[in-house]
Amino acid sequence: MRPELMTGNRAAAAAAKLARVDYVPAYPITPQTEIIETIADWAREGTMDAKFVQLESEHSMMTAAGAAALTGARVFTATSSQGLLYAMEMLYNISGWRAPMVLMNVSRALAAPIVLEPDHNDVLSARDSGFLQLHSETCQEVADLVLLAYRVAEDKRVMLPAIVNLDGFYLSFTREKVSLPEQAEVDRFLPPYDPPHPIRATRPVSKGSAVMEGYLYSYFRYNMHAAALRAKEAFSEAARDFQDLFGRAYGPVEGYRLDDAEYVLVMSNSFTTLGRQAVNRVREQGVKAGLLKLRMVRPFPTEEVAALLKGRKVDAVFDQNLSPGLGGILYPEIAASLYHVRDRPGALLPVVGGLGGKQLTSDEMCQVFERMRGVDVGGERPEPMFLMRDEELTKAERAVATAGVHG
Amino acid sequence: MILRVRFHGRGGQGAKTASRILGNAAFNDGYNAQDFPIYGAERRGAPVTAFTRFSESEITERGFIFSPDVVAVMDDSLTADPTASPFAGLRKGGLAIVNTAKPAAEVNGGRTDIAVLTLDLTRRALDTLGKAVLSSGIAAAVARASGITSEAFMRGLVEELKEVGLSDDAISKNVALATAIYDVVSPIKLHTEELPARADLVPLAVVVSGEGTEDVVNTGNSASRHTGNWRITKPVIDYLKCTDCMICYAYCPESAMSAGPDGRIAIDYDNCKGCMICQTECPLRAIGSQMEGLQ
Repeated sequence: MRPELMTGNRAAAAAAKLARVDYVPAYPITPQTEIIETIADWAREGTMDAKFVQLESEHSMMTAAGAAALTGARVFTATSSQGLLYAMEMLYNISGWRAPMVLMNVSRALAAPIVLEPDHNDVLSARDSGFLQLHSETCQEVADLVLLAYRVAEDKRVMLPAIVNLDGFYLSFTREKVSLPEQAEVDRFLPPYDPPHPIRATRPVSKGSAVMEGYLYSYFRYNMHAAALRAKEAFSEAARDFQDLFGRAYGPVEGYRLDDAEYVLVMSNSFTTLGRQAVNRVREQGVKAGLLKLRMVRPFPTEEVAALLKGRKVDAVFDQNLSPGLGGILYPEIAASLYHVRDRPGALLPVVGGLGGKQLTSDEMCQVFERMRGVDVGGERPEPMFLMRDEELTKAERAVATAGVHG
Repeated sequence: MILRVRFHGRGGQGAKTASRILGNAAFNDGYNAQDFPIYGAERRGAPVTAFTRFSESEITERGFIFSPDVVAVMDDSLTADPTASPFAGLRKGGLAIVNTAKPAAEVNGGRTDIAVLTLDLTRRALDTLGKAVLSSGIAAAVARASGITSEAFMRGLVEELKEVGLSDDAISKNVALATAIYDVVSPIKLHTEELPARADLVPLAVVVSGEGTEDVVNTGNSASRHTGNWRITKPVIDYLKCTDCMICYAYCPESAMSAGPDGRIAIDYDNCKGCMICQTECPLRAIGSQMEGLQ
């Protein structure tokens, strides 16, 4: 189809429509609301054949979503930030029910203090929930990953729900070029959902049964883990079909200027664009820089990460999230992927930045590569970087002084 | 070639819509385009920033524009507002388009290495639309200056105004306004150069040297924030008609009305946000309105 300008939120809604979803339970929260508003408009106009219902909370919304998925409906919904946390209990239930569906998370940093712009503590809080996770860098990727997510989630080898993540503001409200695929081709890519034993009035089935015994619980959890791991294979196959039909190639990770790269920065989501810019800038100065983007976060692409990061002088992990008392959340996952690799990188630099959508200048990103080049290869664990510019600290201190101090 | 445009306005003036009109117009003209707004809590009068990038090649940038080629300043009070800093990072040889009735030298942010184009868009918007909504006017000025064709611009303009739900009548008035502005601006060939911007990064130990709570201990410090600069319309008391009945005092949601030293009612312009409730409630029609920034 002719490319159009659209926001990430609209791209998400358009993909849900193309996926012919049956049911959209909804609850508003900034910066996600435009997704459900758009779908509500289409459902009202009759241009989208889906049942749209606004629930009274995200917890109810996810309960309705999971229950509907068990009846065999194709389900779509969206939330952000506190909304995801409020719904969290149901995420573990829905994955345990092995009910495939797609949940958009429009990343927004978590309170307190309250802010509207993104970081990934919200979506990464769901990393152990059993939901598959695909993270997007561009508005095009938002639309495409929604379609891929349904294919993988509904794959009989998988049967798990999925989260597609997009950053608030930097994608949700950013308009850029998106080519939506034709409906007929999407129908070829994504056939109607064929649920294994859906709840029917005429044929009762008990879902989410209590097990009460640890060995049974373990049996089902191990199966869930195996299913999540099989999602890699399902994703690769789906991505191959997707490329055949639509021409765009998606792997679980994506390398940028990696061929001869000695310094590789690992990033995810929309700020990856800023990382690519920094790679280009420092390459102009002769630094052999590259970037590895994580697109799939669950299942974790351990082998792909290891294959592309090994043999480098220094790699760095850019975490746009913070686990207080640990540091970045993805750093240990990357480090674990490399532990058993013979030709490990000389060092792995932890970087935390962009919390609450903190803006990053081009020079600030370039300095991450500078720091990588200064790391003592094979020496002590490098000191983590926590990005903040002097002028930002001055502004923060001014605000704090205005607020006053105790005593 | 990539052109980066940063719009600075106040909530209600149409900065976001202007960025989208320009993005749409550039896209219609065959460029790759990207537009993006930043507005914290949505609130009329608060500073809003919006961005448009357009380029012949793929756009490989995203988010806040630190080094714009063009800044579009929709309210001249923002040129001196440190929270808005509309000239920050504007490239050497770049262009500032400022909505003002003042001479360029007074609104150039002290920058002599840039071109400044001043237009009294508020006056034109008031004359044509009857209100100070500036999105169409400022977008027309930037589009023309950057060489976007009239056809591509007008199509983008109409599409965006339909998208925000304007009536056909309002759209045709906006088209008339935009056409007039498009016609008085000339395309400007820019040769811009990024300002050197070394980021001084501070180590964590320095950042976390404070107490680190977000408690506000200094109660009443909101008085030090002069929220009156959000105002677009200013209430003015006609003391020949005013009887000091204090009705406006009772209705003012900002407590900006008080009895002055002479016993007469007075408006605290530092904090009046120009909601004009006082004008509506005044039983004697003794409160008039005046646009901010008009001489």
